[in-house]
Amino acid sequence: MRHRLILDNITHTYEDGGTQRTVLDHLSLHVSEGEFVAVMGPSGSGKSTFLSIAGALLEPTSGAVLLDGESITGKEKKALPDMRLNKIGFIFQSANLIPYLKVEEQLMLVAKLGDMNKAKAKERIRELLHKLGLNHRKNAYPDKLSGGERQRVAIARALMNDPAVLLADEPTASLDASRGMDVVRMIAEEAKGRGKSAIMVTHDERVLPLCDRVFYLENGCLVEK
Amino acid sequence: MYLAIREMRFAKVRYSLIAVIMLLVAFLVLFVTGLARGLAYDNAASIQNMDATHFMMEKDSNRRFTRSQLSGQVLVQAGSIAGLQNVQPLGVKMTTVTAEGTAGKLDVTLLGIRPEGWLMPKVTEGAAITSNGTGQVLADRKLKDSGIGLGTVLVDQASGLKWTVSGFVSDESFSHSPAVFLNERDWQRLQLGAMARPGAGGAGDGKTYNAIAVKANKHQAEQLAAAFPDTEIVTKSDAVSAIPGYKEEQGSLWMMIIFLFIISSFVLAVFFYVITIQKSSQFGILKAIGTRTAYLVRSVTLQVLLLSAGSLIVSVLLVQAIEAALPGGMPFQLKSSTLAYTSGAFIAMSLAGSLLSVWKVTKIDALDAIGRSAA
Repeated sequence: MRHRLILDNITHTYEDGGTQRTVLDHLSLHVSEGEFVAVMGPSGSGKSTFLSIAGALLEPTSGAVLLDGESITGKEKKALPDMRLNKIGFIFQSANLIPYLKVEEQLMLVAKLGDMNKAKAKERIRELLHKLGLNHRKNAYPDKLSGGERQRVAIARALMNDPAVLLADEPTASLDASRGMDVVRMIAEEAKGRGKSAIMVTHDERVLPLCDRVFYLENGCLVEK
Repeated sequence: MYLAIREMRFAKVRYSLIAVIMLLVAFLVLFVTGLARGLAYDNAASIQNMDATHFMMEKDSNRRFTRSQLSGQVLVQAGSIAGLQNVQPLGVKMTTVTAEGTAGKLDVTLLGIRPEGWLMPKVTEGAAITSNGTGQVLADRKLKDSGIGLGTVLVDQASGLKWTVSGFVSDESFSHSPAVFLNERDWQRLQLGAMARPGAGGAGDGKTYNAIAVKANKHQAEQLAAAFPDTEIVTKSDAVSAIPGYKEEQGSLWMMIIFLFIISSFVLAVFFYVITIQKSSQFGILKAIGTRTAYLVRSVTLQVLLLSAGSLIVSVLLVQAIEAALPGGMPFQLKSSTLAYTSGAFIAMSLAGSLLSVWKVTKIDALDAIGRSAA
């Protein structure tokens, strides 16, 4: 089975008031096609750093990150946005949609950034919105949407460029239990149905049954439970 | 482009308010510029209308026409250097006249010229003056408002000489006073009345002028300067700025214009900086999902450009409407060339104002999008 996301021997340290702090310590993780992984851990355990490195937002101090076999380290700074655009779909804590774009336009923006053919983009938007049950909301601004709807738009946006990897940063944080379940189920379905590797950082133990593997981030390493 | 336009559509009120401020500033810039140009022209129209490149004036005259005095000999010698057809004598005298039969006094500037030479203005009404006649003058149209008509006799208060208005010219003035053109013969009669200063370049044939208008290239101008140590070769624009009051008037107007440019640039800078800071988390998200910084910078710049260009277009229309509505006597002049470079400067200053925001956008880190990130 193909591994779409490989974190190999990642170490990340930073200076904090003169002392060297190691956030991630020789961390390795292989996520294969269609696999949905949850990462848990207390605050300050380095979950966000882990996600930033996996998402090509931050370069690790040492180690390699491979997206579809392509390394993100040692690349020009300018190449990273393109990597993020084409290989990674982000789903953030509180949806973080652009307030002045309608639902449809949120997705169209990603298509435009990726130079997608317009007809193809329209078709894909229609399909995604239909699948996530947002068809009737396609002309609404984010402030008119409910929390669950917003998170679904965020999922659609993350999927728009058909990325290799889906990264979710506490996607249920601003949702109630049943909405949270719905959203995570959608992420799981997308990962499995489209053969993507998905990682979710979460505090929410109720959604763990939907995940294939669950890790705890302890002392800079991932421990499988 | 996609983001810039949609954001402006969404936040209509916010962007309309700033557009209105920009519109008012742009309007003021254009209006004051028009006024400055109009006043500049009105002040020195006669000199500016002249086809000369340089003026020869007496040294120590501080480049002022009215203070300088040159003899006829200088004219002849200058003609032999620059070419006879390239030099023209010019007399300038500010005086007060009354129209015969009325009590009202009028300030005018008398300009003595050769009617067949190239300093002769275009006659718009009545008959032109000739070299041979005496007592005939051309007056600026503005004097019509003071009750002067064709055939009106003007009496010079200082010398008591009388001239009949034979025709009118338009847009001729000196130091904001309307111009009255005389031929050489009348000019010399006027000079005899006033005591000619002895020793101003030799007595010669007894003729004196204030300045000599010259059409010369740079080389000829240098030759003239070398040949006449007692005279100064002044360029036309220098001669215009030396007209009493010209520099002061233009200086204060220019200060206003420059400040307006700076203000408009700052207003935009502050507005966009505040919005950019407000939106920094949004920019972080956009960067995190793969938007290039250059795209965001273009987006901000485009918004500035749209706002300033839009406001500018409306204010140009407004200024043109106002110009049409202004009374004819109002000195206002906004040629398309002036309009073009004022608009260009306005847009350039607006873009300068956006630099701060652009810098801020490049500094925003995509990491801001993820919870609270270490390092």
